[in-house]
Amino acid sequence: MPSRLARSATISRSPEEARKRVIQLYRDWYRSAPEIVTIYSLNMSPAYVRHQIRKKFERNRHVTDARAIDVLLLKSRQDFQETLNIWKMADHVNGILLNDTDRPQRTFLQKFYEGRDEDAVRPAASGVI
Amino acid sequence: MSSLLRNYRFAASSARRNTFTLHKSLRAVSSESSGTSSIQNTEKVETSVTTPTPARDVMVADVVSGAPGELRHRQVRIYKPTRNTMQSGSGKSNRWRIDFEILQGGGRWEHQLMGWASSADYMQGTRMSFRSKEDAMHFAEKQGWDYYVQPEPVERIPPKNYSENYLYSPNKLRICKTK
Repeated sequence: MPSRLARSATISRSPEEARKRVIQLYRDWYRSAPEIVTIYSLNMSPAYVRHQIRKKFERNRHVTDARAIDVLLLKSRQDFQETLNIWKMADHVNGILLNDTDRPQRTFLQKFYEGRDEDAVRPAASGVI
Repeated sequence: MSSLLRNYRFAASSARRNTFTLHKSLRAVSSESSGTSSIQNTEKVETSVTTPTPARDVMVADVVSGAPGELRHRQVRIYKPTRNTMQSGSGKSNRWRIDFEILQGGGRWEHQLMGWASSADYMQGTRMSFRSKEDAMHFAEKQGWDYYVQPEPVERIPPKNYSENYLYSPNKLRICKTK
């Protein structure tokens, strides 16, 4: 018996089909934002969840390779299923799904004081943001 | 020795330039979706220096791999390790390797008390082996890494001259054996 929201992997035959699938996936994420907030008891508004999800989609806007789009779709579908079936812990949602991974922009002096090749390497767990 | 080194550096830098042009053309190909325009693209960039390579269909793996985006700003070196001068000889020197360049800035530091070498670079210990140079280049292209290919070290097999130890030479003693 397949679990809830399970889907078989599909291959998009054309860019238009891939686009349709991406929009459908975005719609599913968008509509489930209030449910995500409720089931994980998040201290944030559904609008913020939608904003973060939108950012994730925008990050891959430039991708044109059909195979890459299919993989991204599959990964996001899996993520969606794991989120809504509460297969995740609160930290997975707070820290990975809704957390900003981009480092904030720093001034020249801030970079200088830090004394690291921050553009080339991001400190893994040094506490430096 | 110094002139040799200079020559080597020159060869390495010229190889680097060549591969860069090639690489750029291939990246341009990967961003395009249609096959015909990609072939035209590579033909445009090719010069007399670059070796004509057929356009490959490169999937952009960097968007799905989950690797940090900072890696795209770094350079990798594709090279064939030189032969080990110790007893293991030419072992493991037939594979091509990918290494990340060492960060020149403050990515490395010395432990203040013990003097250990430390690094913030999580890729410094990563080394990938490939069967051929083309495999390594293809992998780097897929990952969106800027790469350069170091020329293969020239293998020199010295002639065997053991019997020369026993050659007779008339006047002066050639070799003085102490044991």
